[in-house]
Amino acid sequence: MKSVEEAIENEAYGLYYGNRALLPFPCFLLKVIIDDEIIMDFSASSKAIIVNVFSDITEIYFKQYQNLKDAVSKFESIKLIVVEKDKDIFNFDNHIKIVLHVEDDHKLKIEKTDEDILFIE
Amino acid sequence: MPGKYKFKILLVAFITIIMFCNKIFAGTLSGNSFINTLALSGNLPVKELPSFFMLIPFVLLLVMIATGPLFYKHFWEKHYPKISIFLGLIIVVYYIFILENYYPLVHTLSEYISFIALLSSLFVASGGILIKVDRKSTPFANVIFLLFGAVISNIIGTTGASMLLIRPYLRMNKDRISPYHIIFFIFIVSNIGGALTPIGDPPLFLGFLSGVPFFWVIKNVWAIWFITILLILLAFYFFDLNNKKESTKHVEYSGKIHFKGLRNLFYLAIIVVSVFIDPQVITWVPSLYPLPFGIREIIMFSVVFFSYKTADMQVLKDNEFDFEPIKEVAYLFVGIFATMIPALQIIAEEAKVFGDKLSAGIFYWASGGLSAVLDNTPTYMNFLSAAMGKYSLNVANKAHVLKFVEVDDIYLKAISVAAVFFGAMTYIGNGPNFMVKSISERAGIIMPSFFNYIIRYSVIILLPIFTVIWLLFFTGRTIL
Repeated sequence: MKSVEEAIENEAYGLYYGNRALLPFPCFLLKVIIDDEIIMDFSASSKAIIVNVFSDITEIYFKQYQNLKDAVSKFESIKLIVVEKDKDIFNFDNHIKIVLHVEDDHKLKIEKTDEDILFIE
Repeated sequence: MPGKYKFKILLVAFITIIMFCNKIFAGTLSGNSFINTLALSGNLPVKELPSFFMLIPFVLLLVMIATGPLFYKHFWEKHYPKISIFLGLIIVVYYIFILENYYPLVHTLSEYISFIALLSSLFVASGGILIKVDRKSTPFANVIFLLFGAVISNIIGTTGASMLLIRPYLRMNKDRISPYHIIFFIFIVSNIGGALTPIGDPPLFLGFLSGVPFFWVIKNVWAIWFITILLILLAFYFFDLNNKKESTKHVEYSGKIHFKGLRNLFYLAIIVVSVFIDPQVITWVPSLYPLPFGIREIIMFSVVFFSYKTADMQVLKDNEFDFEPIKEVAYLFVGIFATMIPALQIIAEEAKVFGDKLSAGIFYWASGGLSAVLDNTPTYMNFLSAAMGKYSLNVANKAHVLKFVEVDDIYLKAISVAAVFFGAMTYIGNGPNFMVKSISERAGIIMPSFFNYIIRYSVIILLPIFTVIWLLFFTGRTIL
């Protein structure tokens, strides 16, 4: 099992197929921004997203979109605030802001946001 | 079919229809001066007034813009381009086949192209600039920042200033940002700030093209501008003073301002200069009639192409540059421009009929109220025409406009101020309002809905201030 930090350090890629994204680590999601949609409801009844956390991956379905490639343009990204599965979710220092760049061949490039990217918690 | 192809096909289809209209009547006009006069006057030849029923598409579009993102967000997001174009086409078909009056369509197309050329060029050129203000955000620092934005919006326009400054403003406030920060930014930088020069906001530019001297605005409106900006900044200061949000992390500030994308400043300068490249301003500039655009628009669209192609990729990435906000404006305003043609014609006629009974105060509230929900440029021109009609002067004649300015300028003051200021009342009051909202949402800020914006901010903050301005300047008992 990779941690979020390890995956970013090793430049591990996620995958996407249509509206399904697979991240190579398990994590809790706190906030997701795709396009101009801000998603904070991760309940089973959420109309925007389905999240399944397995032992070594996180699976996300973006229900409002058919294909992530069409929803996210060249210079844009999907933004997530995540917490490592075994870390204290209530400690803000454990909140990790990451961005997913939708690339060719179903690859999702995972990066930590730098200070230049506007992402407000 | 991918969205980007749909966009191109629908846009080309609409332009083709309008070009077809242009072709139909091109031979019936006596020459370029006529179309220019039309464009300047806002007084379109009326063969027959449109039916009041033709206001329905416009009202429907406004209602959908207001309620779509609120009650049927995803249907609206998916279908708004089709809805906007469809409602616009109803009016196009009505004017071509029922009224057989093509002039308003071509005039509107010409205005729409100018509008989109200016907005898109400023949007793309400023998208390639990255400014970072690495200092702690305080209420006072924010007031200075907004005041700077208000001043600069008179040099690069409210759109240019909004696009250039919204991201550094968000970055500066990222630890304590609230929706009111963005809303005051829309009030000051995207609208009211730009009331001092013809470059600031499109209606004033059209007034300048019609014969209002370039420096008339700043000479006559500065006191109103200053009082309004001061009152709004005071309101903002007290809002911001009560913001107790603190950063969750300890942050060191260098106090420095970082700037990337110098080349794009050059492009912004080209856009500002190109605003004057018009046969009405510089006589040797060739007209491209019967095409519904001129050299100015070609320069602006060239800036869109070159500033995007030569932009620093890292800056575009850091700015999360995307064409979606300008695409949204382009689609919505194609519908707004087309569907408001009947509304503007009816207003122009009514204003002429009742012109004698209208006071400066009525001009202020009427042109302001309509500018809040319609495009403020034709609203300005129609009310200017009505005001000049009180003195039997014609807005299409530059000498008449100059005479009007000398005879009694209170009406021009009222219309100029109201057309610019009231654009801040709604998200659809001015082009940059929507763009600033969209950029803020992409940064993670939950913005108020269309109605919440009006009820919680415009009515509470702007309306009392606009009432004070009315009492001070336009009630017939001028105090200042």
